[in-house]
Amino acid sequence: MDLMLFAPEITMVVTGLAVLLIGLFLPVDSKKVLGYLASLGIIAALYLTIASLGTNALAFYDTLSVDALSQFFKIVFLVVALLFSIASIKYTEGSAHVEEFYVLAIFATIGMMFVASANDLMVLFVAFELASISTYALAGFEKKNPQSLEAAMKYFLIGSLSGALMLFGITFLYGVTGTTSIPGIAASGAAIAASPIGIISVVLLIAGMGFKIALAPFHMWAPDTYQGAPSLVSALLAAGSKKMGIVAAFKVFIVALIALQVQWQIAFAILAVITMTLGNVAALSQTSVKRMLAYSSLAQAGYITMAFVVLTPMALGGGILYALSHGFMKAGAFIATAAVVYMVLSENKDTKDPDHIDNFKGLGQRMPVTALSMTIFVFALAGIPLTAGYMSKFVLFSSTIQAGFAWLAVIAIINSAISLFYYAKIVKYMYFLPTEGTKISEPLPYTIALVVAVAGVLAIGFWPEPFIYWAMEAGKVLLAGGI
Amino acid sequence: MLLSMIVLIPLIFAVLTLLTKTREQARVMALIATVSVLLLTVYTYFNFDSTTAATQFEEFYSWVPSLGISYHLGIDGISLPLILLNAIVMPLLILFTWNDDRKAPNRFYSLILITQGAVLGVFCALDFFLFYVFWELTLIPLFFMVSIWGGPKKHYASIKFFIYTHVASLVMLLGIFGLYFAAWETTGTPSLSIPHLLAQFQFIESGITRDLIFLALLFGFIVKLPVFPFHSWLPDAYTEAPTAGSVLFVLLKIGGYGIFKIMLPMLPFTASPNLMITIMGALGAVSILYGAFLALAQKDLKRMVAYSSLSHMGYVTLGAAGLVSLSVSGAMFQQFSHGLIMSIMFMSCGVINKATGTRIINELGGLAQRMPKLAVIMVLAFMASLGLPGLTGFIAEFSVLAGSFVNLQGYVVLALTAIVITAAYHLWALQRAMFGVYKEKLGNVVDINGYQTLAMGVIAILILYFGLNPSPVLDMMLTNSEHIIGLMAGMGV
Repeated sequence: MDLMLFAPEITMVVTGLAVLLIGLFLPVDSKKVLGYLASLGIIAALYLTIASLGTNALAFYDTLSVDALSQFFKIVFLVVALLFSIASIKYTEGSAHVEEFYVLAIFATIGMMFVASANDLMVLFVAFELASISTYALAGFEKKNPQSLEAAMKYFLIGSLSGALMLFGITFLYGVTGTTSIPGIAASGAAIAASPIGIISVVLLIAGMGFKIALAPFHMWAPDTYQGAPSLVSALLAAGSKKMGIVAAFKVFIVALIALQVQWQIAFAILAVITMTLGNVAALSQTSVKRMLAYSSLAQAGYITMAFVVLTPMALGGGILYALSHGFMKAGAFIATAAVVYMVLSENKDTKDPDHIDNFKGLGQRMPVTALSMTIFVFALAGIPLTAGYMSKFVLFSSTIQAGFAWLAVIAIINSAISLFYYAKIVKYMYFLPTEGTKISEPLPYTIALVVAVAGVLAIGFWPEPFIYWAMEAGKVLLAGGI
Repeated sequence: MLLSMIVLIPLIFAVLTLLTKTREQARVMALIATVSVLLLTVYTYFNFDSTTAATQFEEFYSWVPSLGISYHLGIDGISLPLILLNAIVMPLLILFTWNDDRKAPNRFYSLILITQGAVLGVFCALDFFLFYVFWELTLIPLFFMVSIWGGPKKHYASIKFFIYTHVASLVMLLGIFGLYFAAWETTGTPSLSIPHLLAQFQFIESGITRDLIFLALLFGFIVKLPVFPFHSWLPDAYTEAPTAGSVLFVLLKIGGYGIFKIMLPMLPFTASPNLMITIMGALGAVSILYGAFLALAQKDLKRMVAYSSLSHMGYVTLGAAGLVSLSVSGAMFQQFSHGLIMSIMFMSCGVINKATGTRIINELGGLAQRMPKLAVIMVLAFMASLGLPGLTGFIAEFSVLAGSFVNLQGYVVLALTAIVITAAYHLWALQRAMFGVYKEKLGNVVDINGYQTLAMGVIAILILYFGLNPSPVLDMMLTNSEHIIGLMAGMGV
């Protein structure tokens, strides 16, 4: 019975193993089929997750839970994985390691899904590491590219450190409460709050998860890694892996450590302000689009962090909805960049900075679908109405005002206005600056992934009711302290 | 369905126009869309009851019930004249550009149609969410319009316009949030309905909150209007935009619309209404004077027209702050009249620039000899703009000044000084550019073509017609301004 609750995860595991096994026997030129296989598996898992919406259950000795929160985040992760795997069909063409690329991504996604379901800190940690280790390897996938290796190395070192800090924090909590179960820790809230160890564990856990979410000042690795890693992997990191950090932090702080609310709320308020401001200001001067998107991703994480400060059902719903929207917008933007990088590299293999903003000049004529999609993504990231980004900001920012944190909303809105400047710069390069390049035929897999992401961004923008409903349901799970 | 059709036809046709391949198809598509909107608007006008200030032709569909967002449209005597203005000028604008040869005509006409749909959407929306969506939607096509087809400083101008007005919109959004949650707290249910929130405004307990909400919304509107000191995006954007873009800017009357539709009903319930009136009146009067002085100093004809637009927009806030039905309806009429007059003025700048290759007033001269048709129309528009009786500009400015004098003497005196300057720069520019000796180095200049004559001619006739007989639109404005003033009765303001 318990197993059936995890049909999506099981589907993913089977898909991953199938890709790996079939890949071993395929010649290099027919490995394309693996991409389709992976995508189909992810679609199946996505379907199973959506079909099971509304289920509430605990499983495996209460170490895992299936509820609105975990299901919502699983949808986020699967959507990102789907976009990733579709777009990768072109990227991995001709590579001898196609199956590894897909398997790592699928296992990273499985890790993220288990983090979303975790009801026990040990399970959470193991799942967290499963996702992390898979993505370390993915970041260094371009073995001959020193930038990619540097990205992987930085990510790996800092990621391991953050994992260690997190484990340390969990150890302290276990020491005080004698349990690793999230509801168990929450039940011993008074004991934690009374002991100095409570504060230490909060600090350690914020640092550990702060690295993953890339909250300033724990963000240093992110721009380098997002820039150096293959663009599609950056999409997976920024859109998927970062959300894993957020859902983990939701569970750890809002459910397990709610007794220390006052302490971590202040910390998150400061982190949110620093992160969004630093991200936006630093993004202004970037010439590498991937780096710009990395900093913009910081800023967006800063907005989502506001949900930790406000802690009303509407704010949590807003933050959770933002996570889904960001999955579509940011994955889409990185995939569009990946398509440009692909084009630049296929024209000239030795180009040094294929993601330099100059390469976006005249993209509106050269790659009309990619350029239009990119326009929609950056406008959505900037929060222009009728996009997912606006809808999420609407719910999140307005809830901040409702809860009496008007100052925080004002800072966020000012930041949002600053961000428009660099987002508009990309649009300007794509449509207004002349290019010598000619129109090229856009690689189909990228285009399909982009169209799917655009559909998601516009669906949430135009028809937000069901998304808001499920995000609010997910938020309620947190405030109720689990199911 | 009527209002939905008026708003959605341009947006749907924008997509169809984008898909066309040739200039021929694009412009025909745009003409069909704009003429359909015009016909529907005329039909609406004749079925509209201008003796009541009530909302008419309402449409309501729930959209995001959990947040109280709905698709709610409806019009009254504040919105209908502006819808009419927009619906009349748009097809003429398409005709005006009929023979223009420009890159990517499908995108060009598509952007025009998006702007039209967005502006009409703002005028029809009765839900703040919808209002804000359309409000922001006006930004994107104009941004592209200036960036793609604009003048030499187009990138600078478009980004400046975008950032300025987007920031203002965000501040306005904060105000909307404030209003939304305050009302939510009072009534217990979320709603973004404009009439509902305006009615709830007076029940907000904290006076500071009410003032802050009012100022946040006002900021959004006056930057869009714009008035001094938030105008600096205007001369750049208006001047750098292509002619059609400048006309679109002129038709973008949403800032002033917000002042009449949202600010005035809220005004008596702010904690310090007199302060708000002072702010609005002072900004209006200073803009009138400041814009006129700057216009006087301009060498570039189009820039002069842009500053004169700033000056004329000052009458909108001044009249609104005047708070008698004459001044308020005059200010509403100023919006209508300004749209017509400025359309011709910008079209004239466009054709002169195209024919002679320059817009510098000193380099022009005696154009009337070679461009007699243009000269007739342009003189009429200039006269209307400087406020000659018998033309629309006079009615608007006279009503504003006469009406505002009751409550705001000092400001009116300031504005009156500006009238002299206004007359001066208009006549001076006209004299130097159109009359006198023809400068041979301008080459062989030809007059405006048939389409342009038709477009500008019709607008000129309307300026004359509404100047002599303003009641078809002024009546409904009066009904609504009396209604607004009625709200304030006994409020001590």
